[in-house]
Amino acid sequence: MWLFAALAAIWWVWSAGSRSVYFPPLKSILRVLWRQWVTGPARTELASSLEHLLAGYLLAAVIGIGAGALLWSLRHVREATSPYLYFLYVLPAPVLVPAAMTLFGIGFTMKVVIIAFAAVWPALLNTLDGMRGVDLVKLDTSRVLGLSRTRHVLQVVLPAAMPQIVAGLRNSLQVSIILMVVSEWVASTGGIGDYMRNAQESFDYLGLWSGIIVIAVIGTLANLLFVVLENRVLHWHYGARIVEGAR
Amino acid sequence: MGHLIRYGSRLAVLAAALGLWQGLSAAGVIRSDEFPSMTATIAALGHQAASSVLWSAVGQTLAGWGIGLLIGAGAAIVIGTLIGRSAFAYRSAIGVIEFFKTIPVIAILPIALVLWGATLTMKYALVAFAVFWPLSIQVCYGVRSLDPVVRDTATVLGVRGMRKFGVVILPSAAPFIATGLRVAAAVALIVDMVAELIGGGSGVGGNILLAENAGPPAYPIMYAYIVVAGVLGVLLAGVFGVAERYLLHWHDSQRVSSDFYPERPAVTLLASLSPARPARPAGRAGADPGVAVRRPRGDLVGVVGG
Repeated sequence: MWLFAALAAIWWVWSAGSRSVYFPPLKSILRVLWRQWVTGPARTELASSLEHLLAGYLLAAVIGIGAGALLWSLRHVREATSPYLYFLYVLPAPVLVPAAMTLFGIGFTMKVVIIAFAAVWPALLNTLDGMRGVDLVKLDTSRVLGLSRTRHVLQVVLPAAMPQIVAGLRNSLQVSIILMVVSEWVASTGGIGDYMRNAQESFDYLGLWSGIIVIAVIGTLANLLFVVLENRVLHWHYGARIVEGAR
Repeated sequence: MGHLIRYGSRLAVLAAALGLWQGLSAAGVIRSDEFPSMTATIAALGHQAASSVLWSAVGQTLAGWGIGLLIGAGAAIVIGTLIGRSAFAYRSAIGVIEFFKTIPVIAILPIALVLWGATLTMKYALVAFAVFWPLSIQVCYGVRSLDPVVRDTATVLGVRGMRKFGVVILPSAAPFIATGLRVAAAVALIVDMVAELIGGGSGVGGNILLAENAGPPAYPIMYAYIVVAGVLGVLLAGVFGVAERYLLHWHDSQRVSSDFYPERPAVTLLASLSPARPARPAGRAGADPGVAVRRPRGDLVGVVGG
């Protein structure tokens, strides 16, 4: 961590005497950050961004896992649709923002829809793939034990697929954050993206830098939160892996 | 027969989807000023492809993608190797790299815009930035995964310096770098598109925004370009998948299976996107928690009982 502190210190010292409009002193940036985002008017933008993010991401997670499980159980549908699912997955989602604006306007709905639409594919494809990859021995054991279909899915297939589902959800989260900012920026009706667009257009570089830091912090915190949740959900999995490694 | 049925059903799904699209537009369920008809979109696509507009846009997008990727990947391989070679450098730098990796590249887009405006240089810089962090982590892990026996053999044989880098370290790290590159290529395309949409750089994404601003008559063109963007995504992912198979045919991870599912590369790619931990190529998963990379179909490495 020393390098981290060193880099921050270098930035602080190097920018302290900066007269460049583009690279203002870190001290001033932090002051603006406090005034705008912590105690000031930009708090509402931050709140609305987080609403978009949360709504879109949760929608994507629920639909992704549900549809992935459904596709897993319907083999023929899966085989018939797989190339198109793949197409939608590799399609760079930001290009859909203008199209979403013509369909859903520039409000809350559009942002949530576009975030959910972009983030659903990693969750869906990973759920599907995780479930397809369940150890055959486990499937056979479950059959021999005569587990009901529901118990088979909930107690055997889902836990076994969980590590990969979590990997997919993590990727969905990163996609969601990108789409959050892009959709707000292009639609310019509230949110961090909108704030930054305004700052950029009015040459308010201090505001711009403060927005950059806010996004970076959101990305980092969301990732940290995810790791914490992941460690709780997948606790048994890591335990099993450690035992495996010790053997 | 199995193949025939599979491909037949896929074609049927495509035909049904296109038919439904056209039917809904013709019946007036979808308003043409919100969503163009299928025939209008295909016509627009044909029209754009016949003129040079589409190809120059594709060229500009590919230039941003390719050159940005080249700069970012080159830097990541050099710096990742240097960091991976020294335990001290690794422990110092890895936290910083992990931090930068979690910063959405969209955050630094405004700086790039301020510095370079809506130019190609801006696109290169953004793509390179986005590619550098995740890939350098992969390179670090790859370099550190060097088999001790191979390392000692190289030492005994007196292989040093650049020769060691080219003959020992690079091949050993190659599977990690390949996985990282495949992920980076997808990320690069997304960033490229964002740079065009928000930064106003020209290319496929720029033309989509232009068509949207031009209003309903231009909507078929917008959707034509969205299709182009998707096709680019498929092609670039395919190229990397094939190149990896071809260049790394000697490595374990490529030997396990020859069956090819369209969703396979995508999902391996996804598993490896998980930022906090290294992605490991299939077939190498050891006692490394958290990454569920496995060999295709049934042969499960990583979940309980590898």
